Amino acid sequence: MSVLWRFPSVLMAWRNLGRNRVRTALAALGIIIGVMAIASLGMASVALQQQASSQLGSLTNQVSLSAGDDLTTDGLTDDQIAEIERIATDATVVPQKTDSTELTSRTGASARVSVTGVTNADALYDVSAGDSPTRLTAGALVTNSTARQLGLEIGDPVEYDGRLYRVRGLVESDSGFGPGGGRGELVLPLSALSDQQYYDSVTVVAADGDAASELADELDAHFNTDDETDVRVQSYANAQQSISGFMDTLQTALLGIGGISLVVASVAILNVMLMSVIERRGEIGVLRAVGIRRGEVLRMILTEAAFLGGVGGLAGALGSLAVGLVIFHLLAGDAAGALQWASAQYLLYGLAFAVVASTLSGFYPAWKAANESPVEALRG
Amino acid sequence: MSVVELESVVKRYEGGAETVVALKGVDFHAERGELVVVTGPSGSGKSTMLNVIGLLDSPTEGRVSLDGRDVTDFSEDERTEERRSELGFVFQNFHLLPMLTAVENVELPSMWDTGVDRRERAVDLLKRVGLGDRLEHTPDELSGGQQQRVAIARALINAPDVLLADEPTGNLDQATGRTILDEMTRLKEEENVAIVAITHDEQLANYADRVVRIVDGVVQ
Repeated sequence: MSVLWRFPSVLMAWRNLGRNRVRTALAALGIIIGVMAIASLGMASVALQQQASSQLGSLTNQVSLSAGDDLTTDGLTDDQIAEIERIATDATVVPQKTDSTELTSRTGASARVSVTGVTNADALYDVSAGDSPTRLTAGALVTNSTARQLGLEIGDPVEYDGRLYRVRGLVESDSGFGPGGGRGELVLPLSALSDQQYYDSVTVVAADGDAASELADELDAHFNTDDETDVRVQSYANAQQSISGFMDTLQTALLGIGGISLVVASVAILNVMLMSVIERRGEIGVLRAVGIRRGEVLRMILTEAAFLGGVGGLAGALGSLAVGLVIFHLLAGDAAGALQWASAQYLLYGLAFAVVASTLSGFYPAWKAANESPVEALRG
Repeated sequence: MSVVELESVVKRYEGGAETVVALKGVDFHAERGELVVVTGPSGSGKSTMLNVIGLLDSPTEGRVSLDGRDVTDFSEDERTEERRSELGFVFQNFHLLPMLTAVENVELPSMWDTGVDRRERAVDLLKRVGLGDRLEHTPDELSGGQQQRVAIARALINAPDVLLADEPTGNLDQATGRTILDEMTRLKEEENVAIVAITHDEQLANYADRVVRIVDGVVQ
């Protein structure tokens, strides 16, 4: 207490707030809700953004090419592959032939899968079990989900086009984006699909999203004109850009909603402070009569408002931290993400906003109290 | 030289249709160490006179001086400074702040003065009015008489020239009122302060060095 005496406004504000605890608690609750709205929504949008970009992450550095509407052949030719390789010197070019088939297990279970013939499979697939061949010349890879469905293990045979291939690795299921997403996949050497003369698609794996985007433009300009599309060029870097643009919009909208609730809370503080000042009219008259200056009365009331904002804001920030941990646990699968500056900054913004908004709300009541004539105020 | 002086003070309230004249040319003075009692019927203008002396209200005409200085045309902020350093107030309803302890209430007028520690004087004043064992009590733990003694100590904390009391015994029983008046009589000498008290209380008049009667805005 002795330290508080050096800050009389703080002491008086603290004691005044303690007089009507229910009212103080309710006013602070408004602020808590406002801060939790703004901080939790801010953190949620960060979690969404992180989750979206991590899902897209593996695709954003890829450019995918396939036969365009004006191509005369039924797929990309060896010559075209050579041209692509000539243009994309710094990237890995992965030509693919695709088909689909029905896989049947020994127990009689069956699954419809896409078949991809590819040589450098490791550029496209993450192998979770078995070996990861840099050049797939024999054997097969299947997606985890298909293996589970059919009870396949490494070393088991699968049949395609009358020939048997031994499963040598399991690959991660595709996340549902891009070619062949969702369905199970059987990855075979290109030779398995030698019946097909042309390539159905070519994936170019670049160093990063920017390089992929540039490469896509270059390839598009090389193969196509304004009227004729020989090769369809698709880059997911653009998709990521538009998704993060959308995320920014979403974030602004969420913060706006949070902001509105904090504005509502500060109107509640304005109301509470005004009522409290009107109730204490006589008391403030006594303060003025015994020589307390107008500025001192103003500071005392403003401190009360700032206290409400600070206490409410602090409680709200703690609550939001808990909410943030839950959100990150659910959306990103890692609760610790909430503690990173990218999301934790919203706790600070919420707290600062609460203190500033409450203090601003205190101005009118404080001004009113300070400028009341002491004679009128003492009369009650 | 009088510590308080009113010369031909007129106070008019412009109230829409009619104008009320509360003081009609009042002359008044009080000296240090003197207890002046102002009496008169309700609405006679004695509260208005006390407010003018206490610089809570400014006169329409006439002159107000404190300790020889003309304070008639002081601004609100200048009057606040005078109230803080030269004047003390005691009210009928005590008007202590309920969330502060007795000693904090006494310190209140000097609370915002930086670098000044009035705790010692506050404790001393409370001891002198017989409340040395009630320093940390809040007003709701004190009787009416004790609260008024805290209020008197508060009025004296900044060593004022003038103590203004509005019906100081109005809310107390006779015996308690008497102890308050004894206290005030003793302190006016110890502190060498002028006390101006308005009252209906006949008892208070017995303690007065001088009684001024005011009727219908005019000193009789």
